[in-house]
Amino acid sequence: MSVRCALLGLLAQRPRHGYELHAAFEALVGGAENWDVSPAQVYSTLARLKEAGLVREEGLEQEGGPEKVIHAITPAGRRELEAWFSTPVRAEHQRDEFFVKLMLCLATGEVDPMTVIYAQRASLYQELHAVTTQRARADPRSELAHILLLDQAAMHLEADLRWLDMVEARLDEVRRQPLPEPQPRPRGRPRRAR
Amino acid sequence: MAIVETKELTKVYGRGDAAVTALRKVDLRVEPGEFVAVMGPSGCGKSTLLHLVGGLDRPTSGRVALNGQDLSELSDDALTRLRRREIGFVFQFYNLIPVLKAAENVALPLVLDGVSPRKAQSQAQLWLERVGLSDRTDHRPDELSGGQQQRVAIARALASEPALILADEPTGNLDSRAGDEIATLLRRVVDEWKRTVLMVTHDPRIAAYADRIIFLKDGTVVDEARLVGGNDGAEKLVRQRMEDL
Repeated sequence: MSVRCALLGLLAQRPRHGYELHAAFEALVGGAENWDVSPAQVYSTLARLKEAGLVREEGLEQEGGPEKVIHAITPAGRRELEAWFSTPVRAEHQRDEFFVKLMLCLATGEVDPMTVIYAQRASLYQELHAVTTQRARADPRSELAHILLLDQAAMHLEADLRWLDMVEARLDEVRRQPLPEPQPRPRGRPRRAR
Repeated sequence: MAIVETKELTKVYGRGDAAVTALRKVDLRVEPGEFVAVMGPSGCGKSTLLHLVGGLDRPTSGRVALNGQDLSELSDDALTRLRRREIGFVFQFYNLIPVLKAAENVALPLVLDGVSPRKAQSQAQLWLERVGLSDRTDHRPDELSGGQQQRVAIARALASEPALILADEPTGNLDSRAGDEIATLLRRVVDEWKRTVLMVTHDPRIAAYADRIIFLKDGTVVDEARLVGGNDGAEKLVRQRMEDL
């Protein structure tokens, strides 16, 4: 997800200055430990949003301290936000490094694929244990948003673990099949069909 | 000393051509205060392992020792006594007695072991309170939800103050929310009440509550994963994953 659209959403809620925007983003994702976005990143994103005409400066706020610029969303910004809301998020399951590792391990015969599977499984379980522990510590009365995020992480991990079990169970079949190779491209000019 | 130790533990069911090896030379060590999960595909021998460790069944060869006591050296009576006093069992389908109230179910094993009814009652009250069911002591099993019934079963397992709890698919009959509550309770059994838990499960979510997972396949231990300590990377990985979301 882009920080850009998250900031637009927070400005659609109400106009804010940069510092406030950074704090609001952090609160939304359940703390910097979940998603660390630096204040500098917020300011540079704001600058790009302004250039694109999606955000404008609405005035200055001064309460004792230095002046702060208040930013507000523009009508174009709202349209961009609407478009974002109506587009599903693409999960990137195809770019799986483990899958590539396993296939190459089968192709090269360098390592026993079981070793690779077991190492991955242990690591996934360690992650799931960490998520479970964090979830148990979270207070359902005040940190429900954070709990939902942790649940999502846990369920992704569970899915990965189940898939890994399936890979293990079908490894012998996979081994017997040739690895996908690129289609040979015909040389020279394509022949004209008659 | 390990609380559970098995050496070349083997179990064969049937004879001759019909013989099926459920467990093949399994060496296992569980230290006091550990929460260990046993996982593996169905038919891998995980329930057989639990039954042999709990003295519910005798091995074909190899041995099981609890706190250094070799179970094969015990008579049936002595084994029954040891099971009643030193092991608490938790089953998938709770195994509560339908006509008895929650408190009576929890007190029953103590009464059978010769504890005075009064003492048994107070132990039952104590443990039902600890598992969060102090307001359900007079309910019969059919008046309780699945999760509550399993809590009663856990209270019953703990009432005789055993050092070891053996749990066979304790969340297998529960929805994921009740399952999480039971796993959290088993975590407390280890962390708060300092018992040892050996649990069989096929659910990754539940296994992840443990400190260590043992993977069985075709009756042998094929892998083992330690989930706590020595892996600072896990927290970092979790953070990375949250960023990827």
